Amino acid sequence: MKILLVEDDAPLANEIAGALRREHFAVDIACDGEEGLHLGSTESYDVAVLDLGLPKRTGVSVLRGWRKEGRELPVLILTARDGWTEKVEGFKAGADDYLTKPFRVEELVMRLRALARRSSGHAAPKIDCGPLSFEASTGVFELNGLPLKLTGLEWRVLQALIMRKNAVYDRLDLTDKVYEGDQGADSNSLEVIVARLRRKIGHDMIETVRGRGYKLSDPAA
Amino acid sequence: MTSASSLSRRLLTAAGAFIAVAMIVASVLISFVLHRFITGQIDLRLDSQIVFLTSILRADPDGRIVLSATADGPPFDRERRGWYWQVVGPRNSILSMSLVGARLDDAQAIRDERLSSPKKDGKKSDRPRPADGVGPDEDWLHYRIKQVDIGGKAVTIITSAPRAAVLGPLWEALTTVVSAFAILALALIAAMFLQVRLGLRPLHRLRQALADIRSGKAERIPGKQPDEVRPLVDEMNALLDQNAAGLERARRHVANLAHGLKTPLATLAVIAASDARDPAVLQTLSEQMERRIRHHLARARAAALTGPLRGRTPIRCRLVDLCDTMEKIYRERGVKAEIHIPDDLVVACEPQDFDEIAGNLIDNAFKWARSRVVVSASTEPGVIAVTIEDDGHGLSAEQQGVVLQAGKRLDEAMPGFGFGLSIASELAELYGGSVVLENAGAGGIRAVITLPMT
Repeated sequence: MKILLVEDDAPLANEIAGALRREHFAVDIACDGEEGLHLGSTESYDVAVLDLGLPKRTGVSVLRGWRKEGRELPVLILTARDGWTEKVEGFKAGADDYLTKPFRVEELVMRLRALARRSSGHAAPKIDCGPLSFEASTGVFELNGLPLKLTGLEWRVLQALIMRKNAVYDRLDLTDKVYEGDQGADSNSLEVIVARLRRKIGHDMIETVRGRGYKLSDPAA
Repeated sequence: MTSASSLSRRLLTAAGAFIAVAMIVASVLISFVLHRFITGQIDLRLDSQIVFLTSILRADPDGRIVLSATADGPPFDRERRGWYWQVVGPRNSILSMSLVGARLDDAQAIRDERLSSPKKDGKKSDRPRPADGVGPDEDWLHYRIKQVDIGGKAVTIITSAPRAAVLGPLWEALTTVVSAFAILALALIAAMFLQVRLGLRPLHRLRQALADIRSGKAERIPGKQPDEVRPLVDEMNALLDQNAAGLERARRHVANLAHGLKTPLATLAVIAASDARDPAVLQTLSEQMERRIRHHLARARAAALTGPLRGRTPIRCRLVDLCDTMEKIYRERGVKAEIHIPDDLVVACEPQDFDEIAGNLIDNAFKWARSRVVVSASTEPGVIAVTIEDDGHGLSAEQQGVVLQAGKRLDEAMPGFGFGLSIASELAELYGGSVVLENAGAGGIRAVITLPMT
């Protein structure tokens, strides 16, 4: 799961990013409105976290910009402005959720998970795929009812695949979703991660579709 | 007094313009009257010469006209100065000595200035007719011309005076008059200037008084003021009092906030110094501090609303927006809002404050509702009542008891309700309205906001 965090306060942005990475999320940080608008318009994210009081361009204007360009990524507004007038304005501009500062990181993570799940079309919080199941509200994978231990990159790959189970996930799209903007993405390492995942969940669940990408499905079905 | 909107400049400009126009009009009128008067005098002189000439003209037996006495008395004895006369008979002409051989134009060629209106009795006027023309030296002359009958012969008598005889005295008189007027105008403007300075002096004193207040020398503007300025001073004093009260409230709020934050801060400091850090305790402390800050911010905002409140908020669109927002926030719960509000209801309340009042109550309703929140409104004389009903479990008997206790704050009464409720209630009271909670017939809670109409 990849998050765009648009927040101008560097210490807070780093804290949030750190907390989200501990939850295995990939995080790109934009520190002003212009950069946020650009990243949100050109890169692929599962959710954006948007501050309202940003330099160069206000959060609401960034959000309007994305919506005008037809970007439908879910947006959570994270701001110290807690008046209902601001909340209404944020939702009217196209926000999907609103969290006021100060906030608990657990609350933020929970809401981001819910937003990502809803936007990928899963109504129920639990997604099953054969022996594998994913609890979207906590981010925990289980294999045959037992918790599955995964590294951050493994979790991101598997989470992306299970959100689109039974469909081919384009290799480049998957790479985009797994690596943060400043990390050198190399497709070999994606192969390595998939190989490690296969060792953990069984070799027949992730199928390599030649020339296209990967597909997660229940081999028994 | 140098700015474009200076009162003194405005008053002085207006007075100056008025005085100038009055002086010009007076000068024009006076010159007109003077011109008539001087022309009249000259006409009299010329006419008496015509009468004199008529009396000494004789016709000799062969039809020629002759003078029986000399007619060149002053000023007709001065050569080529414009004072001429000329008598034209059917066979000969007689000229004044002053013409020195020159001739006046033919009487017919001299332009007649008078309208040829027939007299009522049909007879021609007895008075000579006036005319203007050019004399022998190409100078402008003023003529008087008369046809007389001398021994049965028609004779034309022309007398002339120089235009300078009219314009000279006129110019002289006007110069005096205009200089006198100019001096008068200057005197009037000087008087105006003094008057303006005197009249505006209370404003100057007022400025001084305000400067004293700013520098801390005084607290109020002295009440002893001219009648015209007193209402302004009273208003200013009222404003000063209001500001002082607001400042006092703000100071109290800041002090309260600081005190409220000190305790959790002290705890934080203790925890920071110790080795055992319990995240739950830290979280509780940060929540406590946030609660304090939000509470005091809201109170401070409410306290800033003093004096006449003149907000104007059409409520339907704001309630619709609020409910849309709530439906998104509580999307997972699937609660739907129903809104029954006429389009034209407008409350006397700032839009932001209305959002706070209604937003907090609708938010609570969505929290408690099972599936549905109904927002409706009704009007009573002078007020609008907005009702927000949910289909939740309603108030317990115990909660109902405390809510109904008079004078008790709702947040103190019902800790579980969050302080949004007390903020809503406090804001509504500031606008002269109220917030009431009760059990609805259907089982949930009904919140009624009353606010004055515009």
